[in-house]
Amino acid sequence: MKGICKAFGPVKALVDASLEVMPGTIHGLVGQNGAGKSTIIKVLAGIIAPDAGSIEIGGRPVGRLTPASVERLGIHFIHQDRLLVPTATVGEAVFLRHEIGFGAFISRRRMAAAANELLKRYFGIELPAGALIKDLTTAQQKIVQITRALAQKTAVLVLDEPTASLVKTEVDSLFAVLRRLKADGIAIIFISHYMQEIDQLCDVVTVMRNGADVGTVRPAETSIDKIIAMMIARDVGAMFPKRKAAIGAPVLDVSQLGLAGRFEDISFTIRQGEIVGITGLLGSGAKEIVNCLFGLQTADKGTIAVEGRSVHPSGPYDAVAAGLALLPEDRRAHGIALDLSVRENVSLASLGRYSSKGLIKRAEEGRQVDALIRELTIKTPGKDVLVRQLSGGNQQKVSIAKWLSCQSRIYVLDEPTVAVDIAAKVEIYGLLNRLAERGAAILMLSSDLLELTGMCDRVLVVYRGALTGEFSGARLDSDLLLAASSGASRPSEMEAA
Amino acid sequence: MASASASGPKGLAGRGIATFAVRAGAFGAFVAVIVYFILFAPGFTSPFNIFNVVEQSAILGVLAFGMAIVIIGGGSNITEGGIDLSMAANMGLCAAAYASLLQAGYSDLVSVAAVLLVGAVVGAVNALAVVGLGILPLLATLAVMNIAGGAELTLTENTVVPASSPLLAFLMTGRFLDVSVLAWFLILFSGLMAVAIHYTGVGLRLYAVGGHPEAARAAGLGVRRYVSLTYVFAGLCAAIASVLTVSRLSASTPGSNEMLLSILAAALLGTVFSRRFVPTVGGTLLSVLFIGFLSNGFQLLNVSSYWVNGVQGALILLVVAATSFARGQEA
Amino acid sequence: MMEKSLIRPDTISRLAGLAASYSVIIAFLAVVTFFSLSTPTFLTFANLYNVLVNNIVMLAIVALGMTLVVSSGGIDLSVGVAVDMASMVFVMLLAAGFAGPAGVVIGLAAALAVGVLNSILVTRLRISPFLATLGVLFIGQSTQQLSTGGGLPIYMTSGYPAEQFNLIARTSLAGIPTPVVILVLGIAAVYVALHRSVFGRYVLALGIQPGVAWYSGIRVSKHISWVYVACAFLAGITGIILSATVKSYVPLSGNAFLLDAIGATFIGTTLSRERRPSVLGTLLGVVLLAVVKNGLLLIGWNFYWQQVGVGVLVFLVLAVSFGLRRHLN
Repeated sequence: MKGICKAFGPVKALVDASLEVMPGTIHGLVGQNGAGKSTIIKVLAGIIAPDAGSIEIGGRPVGRLTPASVERLGIHFIHQDRLLVPTATVGEAVFLRHEIGFGAFISRRRMAAAANELLKRYFGIELPAGALIKDLTTAQQKIVQITRALAQKTAVLVLDEPTASLVKTEVDSLFAVLRRLKADGIAIIFISHYMQEIDQLCDVVTVMRNGADVGTVRPAETSIDKIIAMMIARDVGAMFPKRKAAIGAPVLDVSQLGLAGRFEDISFTIRQGEIVGITGLLGSGAKEIVNCLFGLQTADKGTIAVEGRSVHPSGPYDAVAAGLALLPEDRRAHGIALDLSVRENVSLASLGRYSSKGLIKRAEEGRQVDALIRELTIKTPGKDVLVRQLSGGNQQKVSIAKWLSCQSRIYVLDEPTVAVDIAAKVEIYGLLNRLAERGAAILMLSSDLLELTGMCDRVLVVYRGALTGEFSGARLDSDLLLAASSGASRPSEMEAA
Repeated sequence: MASASASGPKGLAGRGIATFAVRAGAFGAFVAVIVYFILFAPGFTSPFNIFNVVEQSAILGVLAFGMAIVIIGGGSNITEGGIDLSMAANMGLCAAAYASLLQAGYSDLVSVAAVLLVGAVVGAVNALAVVGLGILPLLATLAVMNIAGGAELTLTENTVVPASSPLLAFLMTGRFLDVSVLAWFLILFSGLMAVAIHYTGVGLRLYAVGGHPEAARAAGLGVRRYVSLTYVFAGLCAAIASVLTVSRLSASTPGSNEMLLSILAAALLGTVFSRRFVPTVGGTLLSVLFIGFLSNGFQLLNVSSYWVNGVQGALILLVVAATSFARGQEA
Repeated sequence: MMEKSLIRPDTISRLAGLAASYSVIIAFLAVVTFFSLSTPTFLTFANLYNVLVNNIVMLAIVALGMTLVVSSGGIDLSVGVAVDMASMVFVMLLAAGFAGPAGVVIGLAAALAVGVLNSILVTRLRISPFLATLGVLFIGQSTQQLSTGGGLPIYMTSGYPAEQFNLIARTSLAGIPTPVVILVLGIAAVYVALHRSVFGRYVLALGIQPGVAWYSGIRVSKHISWVYVACAFLAGITGIILSATVKSYVPLSGNAFLLDAIGATFIGTTLSRERRPSVLGTLLGVVLLAVVKNGLLLIGWNFYWQQVGVGVLVFLVLAVSFGLRRHLN
């Protein structure tokens, strides 16, 4: 792809961007959100027509690309959103538009068998027969998506953030598959915000900034820091800023919490100014513990106490009333309403403060919202703009502002930096530090071990429904965390989880 | 919704049981009502009566299949997904056009062709509004429903237009293997629909388009074309149903818009029989026949027909509440 | 969008944006101008008064309720049942010799029962609003047919009940007819509830992104329940005004409001860029529909052509608004 330009109205998304990918290589594509990664990929996918530039595939120039022609050329995309029909079976999803059968008629049995064959060949797994896509885990859906591409003649495979919301073991098996495909001569374009992954996996990396490619380097010869510097062209400073929060009195006290079949006998305490991490594989129970704190699920044993007062949240309203704040993993479905304005989002959980006799005091609400926009440096044209128009990092800030407005004392974060670019991540980390310095207690559920070790005072590890370890100080190390969350050295059980 | 991704294999099994329970429950409710009729309604099980119901259900069946196709292709989210509120009015317009054309002396061939065209055009207007202009299907088809309904009234001046023709006579009195033509028609139409929807690539792709348009687009499917065609198909179904309704009544009659709720009920009730909670041909047919047997059984029991609507409504609520319960397990 | 033109493209798109937002108002002005020019009776006080009292008041009250429900992300197909229930109970009680106020209160209670049923179905049994209210519509129709011997109307044109009816339909406050006063109170109440109160903000959030509302600690069921109850209550008020005006109860007559109320609400959403229902938008929708029907009648179109005309007009307003907006994005 050479000299690709694309403008959306006054916004120049791509300015003379080029990308050259060789067969049999894994080619990393990095850049901040808005750098033009996804636009150039959409051009390649035939979803967006470029204003200028040329595209050659296998040495031959190609004209206008459409999603169908791209597929005929053997270019396949693994989109970041798991673009699969939730109500389809695995066989149907893998072979949609390339159905197996006789003429116009399809054979579901043969499609299912062929899909299973592929899954076994590439991933060595078998999915439950007849399972619907919506019943599969995130990782399994990702695998189905890749299998769908592999079922066709594949020359180029493009993966957009494939590892977001996968746990370490799943990432490793995905990488093994990608390396095998590379050996088969397939060109792989790999987009990721995780620099270690780029370092581990990619042969070549193209860095994009402000709609143009600013350099193509070999990670083997270039340090990660240098790549990051190319991405942002300025110093972000340390990834994990230091904080000087005084650790105070206990705020959240969880004692012998249990939920049948999910977790047992969970006890921990979080103090003022403390950031505590919690991690565990999918299905380990870590997620469910967080859900119970916020009343999304109801624990059947044990107690939760906030500043000494016992609470039994049967819904988020109880948790919010007790002073808890939740930043959910699925930001778009649960965190912020894209079609509400910044003002409406920020004040949603704290309208009681801005109203009298049930009527909203708009002026006071506006002042508070403006103050929070300034405090969190939310980049927005104004407070009455829809959140949809803000960038991902700023959207996440709006969801934090919502709880600041509520004067919450305990923050429960569920994968707070999934699909957020590095600069925004650093900003969010800084924000969490400021929260802690103001005396908030923070519980952070994350599968990003680097983030946990960099940010937390302590990390709790959940394995098979039990707290199996608490790491702090010198023992707070990603290798130890990984070992503990995967049940030390019992790989056979890892698979099962 | 919240923790679907977090539920492990165990959640999967639990959900499977709940889903199964609902489908079994819905089926059980249907069976219970039918068994009651078999035991207490005189003559309910006679072949004559059964084929009579099948015959009566032909019109609703054709319409419900059209609606099912629109819901499959547009997705089953009621406010934003696929729905065609104009089907019944479209059928009324087509029936009026058909009867008027026959009265004006045109042949069956010309009249039927013209009526199919009218139905398809109304469907195309819906498609244009929904796909081309991006109006919510609920709204677009509501407006078209008003237009079609008004057009019918202007055509017939709100009167009964009697009609007769060789085709109508054949539809009304023709028999094969002692089963009437209308009954055969429903059976064949259902068979064709079942093959097209459940055993061809087109059917599979249509489900994909409705289930997750983004995913379908990413797979290279022409989503807009598929959705457009569902509305045109629904229009054609309305036209076909209009010919059948004229044959049953030997006339076009006002008030066909009252069918709308039954069409919706049949198409939506049908989704309960699918483990994916989407419309299926089998589920739709079962619902259509059930609605037919319900009013027939009441007739035979000499219960006032005024109960039929209420019982139908209560059953919809019962069945859908059970479905929502099963879905709620996921949330 | 890219074609060369003397006018700058952003000017065109701004004009298109305005046209998309104000298509209802443009249509309204066009319609009023057209009818004023084509018939002298249209723009007379008597005619406009007649449109207000007979075409606007009752539909507007029902549409206000629909606006609440649509704001919450739902729809209420059973508004006609609530209208009919209030009307039926009110008329039957008067026929049985009850006093007017008692009839009104119990009639409204009957409408409220419909709303409570809807809210239970939607919030407790988690049935989608469309299906829940569709089911209630079916049941409501049966109930009316069964309690009136198959749909026989009840007329009360003279005697004690007729006097009670007149207290509502034929009185006025400071020269303003009582039904209009009721409408104004209704508008004020729904406006404050939807656009100025915490309740309205919650309803809006629930309609736009229920997951976020739930995670923000809003009690979803409670607010959704109130929305359906309020909608049925407003429909019940229309039922009382309707039976007082026509001095009778005609079974299933409430259904006539359903489609117009939905139409008016959604026509109203074209006013806002975000397609949010609003009290002002809905009222504009109601007035547009009423004026068109009245105007078409005056220029001699019969009832059948009126229906076509209204359908085409609504279609055009929606097409312009949605089509332009899509083109702009």
